[in-house]
Amino acid sequence: MTHQFEGRRWTLPAQVYAAPLELYAGLPLTAAQLEGELKRLGYHRAEQADRPGSYRLSGPALEVALRPARFADESRPAANLTLATGAKGLESLRDASGHEVAVARLEPLLIGSIFPIHGEDRIVVTPEEVPPLLPAALKAVEDRKFDTHHGVDPLGMLRALWVNVRAGQIEQGGSTLTQQLVRSYFLSSRQTLSRKLREAAMAMALDAHFTKADLMNAYINEIFLGQDGDRAIHGFGLASEFYFGKPLAEENLSEIALLVAIVRGPSYYDPRRHPERARARRDLVLKLLAEQGVVSAADARAAAGRPLGVTARPSGTYYPAYLDFVRRTLRRDYAEDDLTKAGLRIYTSLDPRAQEDAEGALEKELARLDKLHKGHAEPLEGAVVVTAPQSGEVSAIVGGRDVGYDGFDRALDARRSMGSLVKPFIYLTALESGRYNAATVIQDEPVDVKLAGGRHWRPENFTHQSNGPVPLVRALSESLNLATVGVGLDLGLPKVTQTLERFGLAQPPEQVPAMLLGAIDVSPLEAAQLFNGLANGGFRSPLRAVRAVIGADGKALKAFPLEVTPVATPEVVYQLDRMLVSVMEHGTGRSGRALLPPQLTVAGKSGTSSEYRDSWFAGFSGSHLVVVWVGYDDNAPTGFTGSAGALPVWAHVMADLGTSSWAPPLPDSLAEVQLEYSSGLRALPGCADELVTVAVPAGASLPAKPGCNFPPAGTAQEGPSLRERAEQWLKGLVHP
Amino acid sequence: MRSMRLGTVTGVLAATLTLSACTLMQPSPSFPHPAPPAAGSPSGSAQPAPATPAPETPGTLTAPPERPPAPVPRQFHLSAASGALVSQAHAQAGSGDPVAAAATLERALRIEPENPLLWIELGRVRLNANNPSQADAMGRKALSLATGDPAAQASAWRLIADSLRARGRNGEAAEAESHAEHLAAAR
Repeated sequence: MTHQFEGRRWTLPAQVYAAPLELYAGLPLTAAQLEGELKRLGYHRAEQADRPGSYRLSGPALEVALRPARFADESRPAANLTLATGAKGLESLRDASGHEVAVARLEPLLIGSIFPIHGEDRIVVTPEEVPPLLPAALKAVEDRKFDTHHGVDPLGMLRALWVNVRAGQIEQGGSTLTQQLVRSYFLSSRQTLSRKLREAAMAMALDAHFTKADLMNAYINEIFLGQDGDRAIHGFGLASEFYFGKPLAEENLSEIALLVAIVRGPSYYDPRRHPERARARRDLVLKLLAEQGVVSAADARAAAGRPLGVTARPSGTYYPAYLDFVRRTLRRDYAEDDLTKAGLRIYTSLDPRAQEDAEGALEKELARLDKLHKGHAEPLEGAVVVTAPQSGEVSAIVGGRDVGYDGFDRALDARRSMGSLVKPFIYLTALESGRYNAATVIQDEPVDVKLAGGRHWRPENFTHQSNGPVPLVRALSESLNLATVGVGLDLGLPKVTQTLERFGLAQPPEQVPAMLLGAIDVSPLEAAQLFNGLANGGFRSPLRAVRAVIGADGKALKAFPLEVTPVATPEVVYQLDRMLVSVMEHGTGRSGRALLPPQLTVAGKSGTSSEYRDSWFAGFSGSHLVVVWVGYDDNAPTGFTGSAGALPVWAHVMADLGTSSWAPPLPDSLAEVQLEYSSGLRALPGCADELVTVAVPAGASLPAKPGCNFPPAGTAQEGPSLRERAEQWLKGLVHP
Repeated sequence: MRSMRLGTVTGVLAATLTLSACTLMQPSPSFPHPAPPAAGSPSGSAQPAPATPAPETPGTLTAPPERPPAPVPRQFHLSAASGALVSQAHAQAGSGDPVAAAATLERALRIEPENPLLWIELGRVRLNANNPSQADAMGRKALSLATGDPAAQASAWRLIADSLRARGRNGEAAEAESHAEHLAAAR
């Protein structure tokens, strides 16, 4: 048995980390946001930044005592860093000796772990990482004779027996720490007399073979301290993260007292569900510690005056949908046992701020939409995926409105009809053919396709009306079904299918004309993969959440490097993306504009599947791609178009992200021109009601709107020459 | 009329199928001319430039570009943060650790994803790690971002040329090399 104890290592679930925040001059992060990032990592504000995990504010500067940190590629010792922020964000970083630092990172946030089926999760701590107060407090409260007894405390047991006999049932443990360890480690916690005897015998055997220090450390890493869904919180290392969001070494007296209080009944004294009970027991622990001289009476009193200090939400913060994606990525390469037991560290690209923005926006908007559409038994559901388009790194995944619930992950598993999200890929195929550009007039008129078996397919526009001749840019902006089907049939289903497959569609869609209106089932994550290529200038990057896997020995086991594959020319993608900007300015994305900063250029496309079963919005800025799906789990009609359901969620996420404009360089072979939106005729401000800017191949012949007074060929246009003249004039003044 | 034409979907499909060889994987081989920077681009602000003369016929206008090709060059630089990371990556590559070098360059790319110089650096690491197809792709990614910076465009073409040569595609490599030389000369 002692052999078993010795031989069996702790099962060490793989620990999963978010992306570390990179700090550098120019990072658009306000002082308040910086402080928020530090608080998220459990840093506390102090008079002096003298202990790792603390920071101090002095005027516009913030001095932080960084903890030692392990990243995927290196370890960094504890270090002090002074950060100066200004109106535009972070202005400078200096080390303890005042030298400028070009780039530094905060340690990555622990976001969870991959624990085994039976749910046991822990962060193992070494004796050096344990504040000395903790073992002292455990002994004082749970086992006063720990240092001298031989594994059991007969007097204590007798006292417990007496209590139990009097009560007619087992009420009191009277167990030593060693017995508690045995029970947790080897036995179930069912209390029968024979089991108690076996437990006592085993405790004595352990005591004979191991030092008290080893047993104490084993206890600190083993004992059960809470439950989070199907995850069991074992050991003080994880409990410290779970309840306080910071390392055990940084716990103060009142926090240690609370953890010791929880030992007696993690469910009964759960500080989040029963704060009064937990507080009363914590204060009792503090009183015991003072009585036994472990701490001074004054310190105990001061600690008893402090609030519980528990974070609102369990930290090690547990983003189930994101972790689900991480787990699936890793299962391709690792056995379940390696993930749950081998102490791996997994570094991901999760951006906690983006994740929280996405969770918040979905929760809030779905609550609002539910009120608009009463009468359905179950609440609306939704999913959000956020990526960094240039790398394909996934920043956030929300799998449903109950973000803490580790259940059906809609972002990965809800395969729903993509609806009009397919249209950009049809128009991209059209631009590639060389026969269409944004100004090409196409026919929005009734379509009748004969299908096999003499049936007919007669799609309709959303408005049940046709619009006749419309420019391509308007057909896409307003998501006109008939015009799109016309273009798609002209190009051919195989050609459109090829485009979708190049951009990352996994399964070829059924070759029926209805695929042109999005009768193609995709998950929100798959939709994000498709749109990521549009957001990335025609380069496909496989969406990835895992950056690296590091073994318990600190060696990199696997990296998931950045890959790009050209899948369409930057010229064609620029033309298409420019039209997706016009979706936001003139078309179905317009109602989202009001929620976004006016100067922010974004591109997007709504999607509504038949009978309003699925409401989609997918779109991007320069630095973020966001895909939102809203619908019912039972596939019932929602009554919402993509613009009414998913768009407000999308726009809120985009607005919260603090993102940058879509602004790729205009390819040399293209020109940007203004068209009259309704007709597609070239026009100028003042000679048309609504103008739209499009990109077309330079030299494309475009019909002009009669009555527009275009400047004669060969003359310079309005602004530039004036600016140039002004510059010449200025030069003349400076250098006469 | 339309429904009649659409009625023969299968015929249309068959016809387009034969035309559907995937020809769009390569960027346009046309010679890239410098162009003004895009609004909000990382270096240099958008500066409108004089329009090129456009031929005009009554009723029809050839689109005179509103952001036309014009000799307003820009030059990409590394920010202080990316510069420090690129130096670190060079040291890592020099000590025989291309995996670490690539990871460090990815850090820099997260800070400046639209800087073509970083894509070229990462492409070079991939090429040295015997991954010429990714090196080629990163060269093309850099090229798409480097509009207006002939120096950056030239080094992107050189990366592409080397990647092609590593795969034995010497003819295409020579063509890419000549793009690079042309650009370097045009500076």
